[in-house]
Amino acid sequence: MGGLIGLIPLPYPDAVVALGAALLGITAGVVGCLAVLSQRSLVGDALAHSALPGVAVAFIATGAKDPAALLAGAACAGLVGAVLIVGIERGTRLPPDAAIGVVLSVFFSLGIVLLTHLAHDAGAEQAGLERYLFGQAAGLLERDVQVMAVLAAVALAVVAAGLRPITALLFDRGFAAVSGLPVRVLELLVTALLVVAIVIGLRTVGAILMVAMLIAPCAAARQLTDRMPVLLVLAGLTGAVVGVVGALAAARGQAPAGPVIVLVASAAVALAVLGAPGRGVLWTARRTVRARRRQRAEGVLVDLETAMHAGAPPTAAELAAVSGRPPAQVRGGLADLAGSGRARADADGRWRLTETGAAAAHAALESRTLWAAWLEHGAHLGLPDAREPDPRDVRGSLGDVAADRLMALAGGGRR
Amino acid sequence: MSDHLVIVLTAGLVATACGLLGPFLVVRRIALMGDAVSHAVLPGIVAVFVLFGTRAPLPVILGAATLGVVCVLLVDALRGTGLVRQDAAIGLVFPMLFALGVLGVHRYAESAHIDLDATIYGEIAFAPFRVWEVGDLLLARSAVIMGAVVALNLMFVLLFWKELRSTSFDPDFARTAGFSPALVTRLLLVGVAVTAVTAFESVGAILVVTLLIVPAAAARLLVDRMAPLVMAAVAIGWASAIGGEAVATRLDASIAGSMGLVAGVLFLCALVAGPRGLVARAVARRRRPRPGPLLAAGAPGARPPRAGGGAD
Repeated sequence: MGGLIGLIPLPYPDAVVALGAALLGITAGVVGCLAVLSQRSLVGDALAHSALPGVAVAFIATGAKDPAALLAGAACAGLVGAVLIVGIERGTRLPPDAAIGVVLSVFFSLGIVLLTHLAHDAGAEQAGLERYLFGQAAGLLERDVQVMAVLAAVALAVVAAGLRPITALLFDRGFAAVSGLPVRVLELLVTALLVVAIVIGLRTVGAILMVAMLIAPCAAARQLTDRMPVLLVLAGLTGAVVGVVGALAAARGQAPAGPVIVLVASAAVALAVLGAPGRGVLWTARRTVRARRRQRAEGVLVDLETAMHAGAPPTAAELAAVSGRPPAQVRGGLADLAGSGRARADADGRWRLTETGAAAAHAALESRTLWAAWLEHGAHLGLPDAREPDPRDVRGSLGDVAADRLMALAGGGRR
Repeated sequence: MSDHLVIVLTAGLVATACGLLGPFLVVRRIALMGDAVSHAVLPGIVAVFVLFGTRAPLPVILGAATLGVVCVLLVDALRGTGLVRQDAAIGLVFPMLFALGVLGVHRYAESAHIDLDATIYGEIAFAPFRVWEVGDLLLARSAVIMGAVVALNLMFVLLFWKELRSTSFDPDFARTAGFSPALVTRLLLVGVAVTAVTAFESVGAILVVTLLIVPAAAARLLVDRMAPLVMAAVAIGWASAIGGEAVATRLDASIAGSMGLVAGVLFLCALVAGPRGLVARAVARRRRPRPGPLLAAGAPGARPPRAGGGAD
């Protein structure tokens, strides 16, 4: 470990913190996926709060503020809380978040009662116990990082070894049960992994901010992939990068590491949710805008074709009046048509279709007629199999024979 | 009025305000919204301190309420993208805001000892000492404020009862029936944020978070219909307030913590002894004749395997 830290080209304390944050990010990212995918994202929140009575009991038992004992108490109480959450969920019809909320608030209340009860017995000795949970990343020591590395390695190894059964459990508990997997043991295992990840996070980012470290890498990675193994790897990588970037930024800005890491993680999620290829908000918005433009251009195309049949080539204003579309829409549609060479304007502003435009208009009209005919006569067509055509391409999806019969049924092609 | 009475009354009013909204949060699977708000208010408090240099209650509450509303609306917007599930959205938004707040404290306000405990999280034990004098009358401030919140929530729930109920269980039906699920949800969330922040100031955060979730969850184990659910939640909340005050006096421990603990015990009672509780189920299992091996899988009443996480 010491050699590894020596390899990082950073001042020693920064290197220790960066390595710790990377370990935390990998573990939280991978293990967090298990919580997020089973809709128990906030289990970290509950475990963070339910550690309080554990800390109090550990303090009562040992009579001193020994970090290792307090951490062990926190972990035990967290495990008990987690088992209770799973039990409430399985034993009642309460949704996961209600079970999490009940355990969170009751355990925290219990912790407060224990602490205040303590305050009257033990004097000022117990002061600041609850700070231990919500305190910020203290200076990490190399020894802490070593412990974290061992815990992280164990957690990752367990996830890697149990990937298939865990995946089955997360996505289809019923299937996992009937295929003979020990679902209860697996659930306990997943819960224990979460507790391990949170214990790792306590010292680095603090309990509350740990909630985000479990969720954010998975939420960001989820936008980029649909496959479980890829998701786990991506989430681990995201977590590590976020941890290192956040820790280094915090060191440079003389700020506490925890909040900075969480803000970097939030930025990563925002980036993924906005810009993920093919599914991000910006992509969806662009797709919608393009679809609307195409729709508008096709509508104006058909209107123009109809207007040209009725009389002289119209101006934009006349076309708007005839078709009942807002003038701005007509102008926009005409501009798109002109851009794609489907229509052009004369010198006096009268619009007419080009040859490609006329063909496109006929195709559009035929496709509309076909769809209307399918809706009206589709059942009488007697197709050999139960085909359902694509509304935008009836001819392509039903085949020429059926399409011609549909056109005949529609009245020999109305136009 | 005796001090105990004021404390019970204040806590009971908080329980009523929370019990009116909590059941809707539980059936909508956003029970943890109260906890999220309790952490998300920090940057609002810091911003008020940095911008106006004050820690007076009113501006601080306004700043906190603003951030509470920002928090719930951000969660709703993130969920609305369809890319992140509700629970993950909550867990992404409030730590981010909390982190902003912690950084703000670190940068601007470390010397001022801004701290959630000191600025906004009240302590219910002080409720009897914070009074308004109206003529000869001494009015407990927290009780009056919480009474107003109860009235507001009651009005909201009664006015929007149909909308709240239908959008909670079947948003698609609600939309076809002419309600706007998005609008009703946002109104409910804003109501929760405002209730929570106001109640934080009177009784502290953990009691509010507890009273939003635990009575509603316990009531959910006892009754099925929405109106009894709300009433049961309010009743369980009051029982926790009264019992918690007694326990706190006996143990000489935190009042809010004791009330939360009593609420937890009541939840446990519902879990064990409720109509679908562990006892009732064990009895039913014993009475039912054991199915033969062939029938085992499809026997009437055999619990079907519950779908795991994947189902939406």
